Amino acid sequence: MARRPSIGLALAQRLALILALAVAGPAPAAEGTVYGTGVSRTEVVEISALLDHPEAYVGKTVRVQGLVTDVCPRRGCWIDIAGDREFEKLRLKVDDGVIVFPMEVKGKRVVAEGVFTKIDLTRGEALEQARRHAEERGETFDPARAGDVAAAVYQIQGTGAVVR
Amino acid sequence: MPSSGDVAMDGRPGPARRGIPWRRWNSALHRDLGYLCVALTLVYAVSGIALNHIHDWNPSYGVVREERRFEPVPVSDRDAMVAQLVERLGLPGPPKDAFRPRPETVEMFYDGWSVEADAAAGKAIVERVRERFLLFDANRLHLNRPRGLWTWIADLYAALLVLLAVTGMFVLKGRTGLAGRGKWLVLAGAAVPVLFVVVLRWL
Repeated sequence: MARRPSIGLALAQRLALILALAVAGPAPAAEGTVYGTGVSRTEVVEISALLDHPEAYVGKTVRVQGLVTDVCPRRGCWIDIAGDREFEKLRLKVDDGVIVFPMEVKGKRVVAEGVFTKIDLTRGEALEQARRHAEERGETFDPARAGDVAAAVYQIQGTGAVVR
Repeated sequence: MPSSGDVAMDGRPGPARRGIPWRRWNSALHRDLGYLCVALTLVYAVSGIALNHIHDWNPSYGVVREERRFEPVPVSDRDAMVAQLVERLGLPGPPKDAFRPRPETVEMFYDGWSVEADAAAGKAIVERVRERFLLFDANRLHLNRPRGLWTWIADLYAALLVLLAVTGMFVLKGRTGLAGRGKWLVLAGAAVPVLFVVVLRWL
């Protein structure tokens, strides 16, 4: 005759089931993993359009999509999104700690939303930013390539994203 | 001496009626909450130290970079360059996705790793991301990445810490209790954040 499990064991099994269901709940939705407030706008603005006519979009909330080509390797506070044209990408910056992108989103597709922003930098600030980004990636900053450093930087101040 | 109310049903005198033994209950509560909170305190404390130094290192991931050399590939269209690079670098197959930030540079993405190849220079960096043992999960919980049920658990833990702090002040009495040197230690502990805020705001 089979022995009945003890009340304690049965309770522990039920608690484990409830915990498993609760933990499995909200994080990765079927349509992707949501960061921040996710995305709400339906109209997608191509990154090429933003970079071709940046002044027309500065201060506006935009929804973009593309391939995540890089992630802030320390704090997960930005991702670079490849444009629809070759050689173009746009940075989605998020507030430190409010949204944290994990390293594994690199190489995945993202839909993101935020305010398109222009940051005017002096040459010194631009060089310092480039040096800091190189340091974050564990690379040596080459001032000889300083010609690549732009004085005005456009980026999206991100409020949410969905990574698929 | 027992009062008239301390007489048992059988008429024998019972124990003396005393006040509520709140200090004994307080100590028992402090002790048991302490046991209950050990694991979570370690998780939050260890990951807290790790996350405090996020400007110096990535506390959740380790990145391993391996440099490889190959016979340079002519700069052409992306798909042709990817096909040649996969062959020259002996990669396990076509990547899930690829991107060219510059004409001569191709980034190829696989599950959990990527390759950045300078086709003209014949140099590639293979980058693999590894979750740090234990710290990855501890940091995930600390940052409340699971949300949902974990939010409730973290809130409950915070409430228990409040209880631990309050009950801790009343475990001992006398010279080492709150009325003795305890009050000075409590004030010294409170002075640290208060002074910090004063300095940050007004100095």
